[in-house]
Amino acid sequence: MQRVLAFAPLNSLEGGLKLDTAIVIENLSKKYKNNRGIGDINLKVGRGEIFGLLGPNGSGKTTAMKIMVGLMKADAGDVIISGFSVLTAYEQAMKNVGCMIEKIVPFPYLTAYENMRLRSRFYNSLDDKQIDKTLDITGLLKYRNEKIKNYSLGMKQRLGIAMAFLSNPNILILDEPFNGLDVEGMFQMRKLITNLSKDKDTTFFISSHLIHDIELICDKVGILYDGRLLAVKDTKDILRDYSSLENYYLSEVDVNGAS
Amino acid sequence: MELLKAAYKNEIMKILNRKKPVILMALSVVFVLGAMSGVYLLNSFSGIRVTGSSEFSIMVLSILIYSLFPLFTIFICVDMFAGEFADQTIKITLTSPASRLKVFLSKILAAATLILGNLYFVMIISAISSAIINRNFPNLLRIFASYTMAFMPIFVFALVIALISIISKGTTSAFMISIFIFLLLNGLSLVFPNIRSFLFTSNFDWYRLVLGSYINFSKILRVLLILLGYSIMLTAGGCYLFERKDI
Repeated sequence: MQRVLAFAPLNSLEGGLKLDTAIVIENLSKKYKNNRGIGDINLKVGRGEIFGLLGPNGSGKTTAMKIMVGLMKADAGDVIISGFSVLTAYEQAMKNVGCMIEKIVPFPYLTAYENMRLRSRFYNSLDDKQIDKTLDITGLLKYRNEKIKNYSLGMKQRLGIAMAFLSNPNILILDEPFNGLDVEGMFQMRKLITNLSKDKDTTFFISSHLIHDIELICDKVGILYDGRLLAVKDTKDILRDYSSLENYYLSEVDVNGAS
Repeated sequence: MELLKAAYKNEIMKILNRKKPVILMALSVVFVLGAMSGVYLLNSFSGIRVTGSSEFSIMVLSILIYSLFPLFTIFICVDMFAGEFADQTIKITLTSPASRLKVFLSKILAAATLILGNLYFVMIISAISSAIINRNFPNLLRIFASYTMAFMPIFVFALVIALISIISKGTTSAFMISIFIFLLLNGLSLVFPNIRSFLFTSNFDWYRLVLGSYINFSKILRVLLILLGYSIMLTAGGCYLFERKDI
């Protein structure tokens, strides 16, 4: 049984139909034994948008993202990606999705190239050239044939990013993508995200507790606090009303966080 | 089908890059060569004829099926499931476009391929060794049938280990529980002979059914159906648990 998103407006483009809404999260809930988790999250992310999910540690960002990519099952609700439900049509939903959830753990006994091959095999169109190109973008080409056990934390993070970007996906779900990156790496990452969104209409769903990075790159920001989505707002509107994203965040948490 | 094929190739690549299965395969070779030397010395110098032309390969199978083959199976299945869950490398596979059902099936198919590959690898070495010892070719058809039949109970055991590995919290516990279950089931079939025919471990030597002068096909069919029943139930159970596992 495939569930196709019915309410997203459809625009006719060259070569076929395209949905305006890339990701829809409906009434998403998940409770752990310790009673923490997420509750009744509803959200829509438009195509080509860079959406940032902000929240403190333990607020449920990773839980939400794990459910989005099928690593975890929700107690209730659904996630619809490119018009397909992750629950009932996983393969279609994930076909054009790249993701990196929490810290990436590549196979330590394989090389960077072999780890990339593990992913490229799922896409007929991907060849060694594309692997090398992606490794080059993330600055790992010269370490291509080195075993991952010899990689530093930052290099593993770069490889995780390379694996997520490898298939040129339409949607990228990145959990704390700036973790472990040096200043230069963070700058390159931000540039890569904004360029892809602008040039290729790639949708980004990014979670981070690094408020500055979210402010710099995201078009829209959602605040997740104690498992609840407190607010979703355009970054330009936030920066019009508040001096910084940090002030907005603190204000939202102060007003709505305790209720 | 393409996604299943890709996931299967990935699993094979991962296992072949691990040291443990390669070491265990090397140990099988060492065992066969050691046994060959022992049998050759006894045949040549003590006047005791230990094995005939076909018997050497069967003797090797009868020893390895209760030792190195189950150990090999435990290592690859624990690594494939519990190992990847424990170190979180499974996330790379589970965030691919392949569904969990396909990922599970690819792992099971890869395990089956390696188990069968290891069996045939030992079969070839032991058959060559047998030809060297006895200076004539063994009955290859019977040896082939025996090693092929030996695959079925080991495959059922692989499915049991997969199930344990999905439930267990870590690699050590999965490894220990798998060994314990193997020993327990073998012990149970000795203590309670009336339940023997229902335990897959007591069918580890069912290949002997093709070795006598009379081949009891109805018994072979009965055991085959029991093993197939086990395989279907364990695959369904493993699939269900694998689908529901939160990472």
